[in-house]
Amino acid sequence: MTPTNNPTAMSAVVGEEIRFSAGGPRTTAWLRHLIMPVLLLAFAAYLGYGMLTMRVPEGTAFPGPRFFPAIIASGLVLFAILLIVSAAKGLRAERAARAAATRSVDDFELLSEEHDAAAAGADAAVQGARAVKIDWRSLAWVIGSFAGFALLLDVLGWIIAAGLLFWCVARGFGAQKPIVSLVTGFTVSSLAYIAFDMALGMSLPSGILGGGF
Amino acid sequence: MEALQLLMEGFAGALTWQNLVWVLVGCLLGTAVGVMPGLGSSMAVALLLPVTFSLEPTAAFIMFAGVYFGGLFGDSTMGILMNTPGQASAIASTFEGHKMALKGKAAQALATAAIGAFVGGFVASILVVFLAPALADFSSSFGPAEFFALAVFAFVATSSVVTDNAVKGLAALFIGLGIAVIGIDGASGAPRFTLDSPFLFDGVSLVTVTVAVLALGEVIYVACLERHMSDKSIIKPKGRPWLSKAEFREAVPAWLRGTAIGLPFGVVPAGGSEIPTFLAYGLEKRLDQRRRSPRFGTGAIRGLAAPEAAGNSTTGMAMGALLALGLPISATAAIMLAAFRQYGLQPGPLLFERAPDLVWVLLASFFIAMIVLLILNLPFAMLWAKLLLIPRPYLYAGITLFCALGIYATSGSIFDLFLLLGIGFVGFLMRALDFPIAPLIIGMVLGPLAETSLRDAAMSANGDFSVLVQGPIVLTLYAILLLVLTFAVRGRIVARRRAKAEAEELSAATV
Repeated sequence: MTPTNNPTAMSAVVGEEIRFSAGGPRTTAWLRHLIMPVLLLAFAAYLGYGMLTMRVPEGTAFPGPRFFPAIIASGLVLFAILLIVSAAKGLRAERAARAAATRSVDDFELLSEEHDAAAAGADAAVQGARAVKIDWRSLAWVIGSFAGFALLLDVLGWIIAAGLLFWCVARGFGAQKPIVSLVTGFTVSSLAYIAFDMALGMSLPSGILGGGF
Repeated sequence: MEALQLLMEGFAGALTWQNLVWVLVGCLLGTAVGVMPGLGSSMAVALLLPVTFSLEPTAAFIMFAGVYFGGLFGDSTMGILMNTPGQASAIASTFEGHKMALKGKAAQALATAAIGAFVGGFVASILVVFLAPALADFSSSFGPAEFFALAVFAFVATSSVVTDNAVKGLAALFIGLGIAVIGIDGASGAPRFTLDSPFLFDGVSLVTVTVAVLALGEVIYVACLERHMSDKSIIKPKGRPWLSKAEFREAVPAWLRGTAIGLPFGVVPAGGSEIPTFLAYGLEKRLDQRRRSPRFGTGAIRGLAAPEAAGNSTTGMAMGALLALGLPISATAAIMLAAFRQYGLQPGPLLFERAPDLVWVLLASFFIAMIVLLILNLPFAMLWAKLLLIPRPYLYAGITLFCALGIYATSGSIFDLFLLLGIGFVGFLMRALDFPIAPLIIGMVLGPLAETSLRDAAMSANGDFSVLVQGPIVLTLYAILLLVLTFAVRGRIVARRRAKAEAEELSAATV
């Protein structure tokens, strides 16, 4: 009924379905399917390590503080395995489908270019959405600038750090005019400082601009 | 009639000028965020949650009521004018709504949507006033076993019924449960999974997690796609922003039917208001086909009125379920639950006894918010549409800045900013790999409740877990759950069979 698992997500919101393409050779597809299972297993390992090193106060009745986390950790491992199994199945089915498509295309002795197009078309049809590749540069701009912001916040103070964060993220999103977005960024960060630090009394660091405020 | 009297007292408490200002601020912010592209009401509540912490509880909740409903009033604007729904609950209203706009009736479409949202929300609020206290009364006899059953119900429903892949949903749920166990264990006092870092003694704050996965993760996700998005043009609404008598008469039955469809979904943990909006749209379409001259497909006013009313009546009832049972049915409701916790209040049966002032003022402010929203949206819908003109880079840069502001202002620690970034990245991965986010939040919110009730039940029975499946209420809950699951599995098998048959037909046709 809903287009994706995240109905409130932007892809649903923007009204066009976009999915990241598996693209590339089989190893990339495998890697993509392994990201989540690895994440789940890593989290399960962290929980397991925590359970082993946990100092439980004496006289704690059963079920103690380890009981519920144990269920969670085993669940995480179980789902990671299930995901890997279903990914393997899916990839095998896909390969079989592609092989079948290639065979039928070969029967008609089409040119190799058209053959590629047909295979790509079949791929898109399988995914049911326009496939795009991840824009690594934008990704790096957003994540890098946020990490930098967190590191420098105490030194630079809210107004400067947040203004720069605004500029960097806007740039990552492809804003064309650097000066305009810098001015907008500092306006927004100053307004936020005035509204939340001065008016509502939350504490934001003033940093190197301190003293003046 | 006791409820009516208490509600009147609530109105007396809510109608001070300070509180009215907060309602107005909440409604303005909620509508603004709802109208803006890509910001649903769950993101509105998540972003504004940290900001309200410096207010006193009553003022904060009154403002929240405005934000909560405001997001729903605004979300259809973008769908109607640009054919791109603001969030999933607005998809169904986009079909006929945009066609109305194309026919030059954009202003009337916006008015129909606003009145529909008003009718749905208002009727739901009236029902909440009378039903919530009764429900709370009923649930005050709940013990640990009942609460555990409720939590399990919510877990299973959100992670497997709503999503299309149960394993993915459950994986997301368990990540949420896992994050929730970090911190000092309340029952035994043992520090858990903290790596002896004082930053983690209090656990990972729910606010950090929700802002991370709903807002920051979304920003990172869109950053990867931004240059691939096609720009769409906006239809400028012209003409009278009100409905003629004939249009009004045409829409009234649809508003009422939509409201009736939406109400029951407010107490079922089925993921919020998407399903009822589609059901309402489907019903109107079927009824329309029986008429002498079917109007669907050409901008039928009923196709817009019904889903709008359904969406808002579900959202209104969801507040009732949250207040009376402490059970969030959607991600948005889960964040509201977090807001209550932040003020040391636990929604559920005891809330009506412990903080009656706050509850009734909150309920009264629902009605006030509804009326304020109608006034804000009916004549000024065109002004709101101007917000759609904010350039995307600035919009997302602003959201990022707000994420940082909210988290730093509440925690005051750089560590939390890095936690925000890390969890935001996980949220981005989940989104990019098509894992549902809502189960993670539900798991994080209800995990502690599930754990304590599980341990309490087992401890009071000396480690005997069979107490968890005893008692009429518990058994009824599990029976309903089983029924729901059976239907879901059956539906999925039917759908798969149909898809398979279609695929075979297709391949047979091509070969």
